[in-house]
Amino acid sequence: MVLNRPGNGSTCCIVTDSKRLNDRQLVSRCLGGDPAAERALYDTHVERIYRLMHRMAGDADLAADFTQDTFIRAFDRLDQYRGESSLATWLHTIGVSVALNGMRKVKRLRGRIESVDGVEGSPNLVVGPTGFTGDLRARLHAAIDALSEKLRPVFVMHDIEGYTHEEIAGTLSIPVGTSKARLFDARARLRLALAAFAGDHIA
Amino acid sequence: MNDDQLDEFLADAARDYNAPSDVPRDAMWARIAEARKQRTVAAPKRAARIWLWTSAGIAAALLIGTGIGIGRRMERTSPAGSSVVASRDANGRRDTTAPAAARRDVAVAPRESSVSAVREATREAAGPDRTLAYQLVVLQHLAGTEAMITSFRASARNGETDAHVSKWARELLGMTRLLEASSAADDPVMKRLLEDMELVIAQIVQYTNRGTNDPEELDLIEQSIKKRGVITKLRSTVPAEAGLAGIRG
Repeated sequence: MVLNRPGNGSTCCIVTDSKRLNDRQLVSRCLGGDPAAERALYDTHVERIYRLMHRMAGDADLAADFTQDTFIRAFDRLDQYRGESSLATWLHTIGVSVALNGMRKVKRLRGRIESVDGVEGSPNLVVGPTGFTGDLRARLHAAIDALSEKLRPVFVMHDIEGYTHEEIAGTLSIPVGTSKARLFDARARLRLALAAFAGDHIA
Repeated sequence: MNDDQLDEFLADAARDYNAPSDVPRDAMWARIAEARKQRTVAAPKRAARIWLWTSAGIAAALLIGTGIGIGRRMERTSPAGSSVVASRDANGRRDTTAPAAARRDVAVAPRESSVSAVREATREAAGPDRTLAYQLVVLQHLAGTEAMITSFRASARNGETDAHVSKWARELLGMTRLLEASSAADDPVMKRLLEDMELVIAQIVQYTNRGTNDPEELDLIEQSIKKRGVITKLRSTVPAEAGLAGIRG
């Protein structure tokens, strides 16, 4: 399964030296209190951050909360940006951290609500189109949901949003090889999850 | 369906996974701007708080200085060898009438050994006059820290974040840092205890400031307390009578 395609084409995947220079200039203008620069920074990165947050959270309100939190934190810590990585990578690192922490809290809260309501944990099957492909699609989404905290961000970023392994490695602070290994592992698990449903020839 | 068709299907199906809606760009920016505006308003308050703590630190330093002054004056006015010290008789009862020379003969209880070491260290570093002031400050501080940590654990276990504990912890954190920079930290045992205390109190300050009652954070604080044996060390250092014996000694 190879789904490597660019996400929404909102920003370039390759970070050049000139882009990094622009990042530094933008950051320095923001630190100087230039509101136009702040808005420019936001406009440049918000779409990609929001898309990723939405893919991770599966909920528009949560995605908006995570995105806002990401930018609020980023503006607070902008003086800590050293320009060693691209601004996009730096923002994504904050974003992924915000999303993972946020999702942990959401899961805990949902767990508590379920235990109070006496609802037993059920497979998170998405209601979608009916029939064989509809069921398979729902199973795939549930299987992606069930991926671990280490595997899901890599799969979502690479196979769904089209990030490169270099970008993922920078964002998650892991080696490129680890990013590739996690993607391989994630795909294998998804195949396995669908095997029983779609037939033995998939596995 | 062969493998290629399956991969194609999966590629297509994965694209729909948590598919994003339109980006509420302006709405989010408005909220970000509002949140940042509130923080900017809160910043002067934070600066005022820093000023308040700096003042508190200066006040504490003045208190120590006053203590030293009183100690010096008492030393000058008291005839040599007649100073009253606290000691214990054979039955363990406190005897405040024993002369200073008798102190050498009094067996030091194990729990007071660190305090004695601090006394010795401060005496060497700053002369005998400052001993009283440092003992007063250090022992009261250790006793207060133990009480605060115990109080915090009790309230946090019930999922409560007491504002009083939060304020108390902040005060203790400032004082711990002051003591770390003083002669009290000349003794390696006391220095380590003060460092451990600083870490735990700082964690408590952060926890109470956030007010989120996050069980994971609480667990981390508990681990720090247990791993560093802070409570055990405090209890073994502070005399049974909440530091009074050490103060008089």
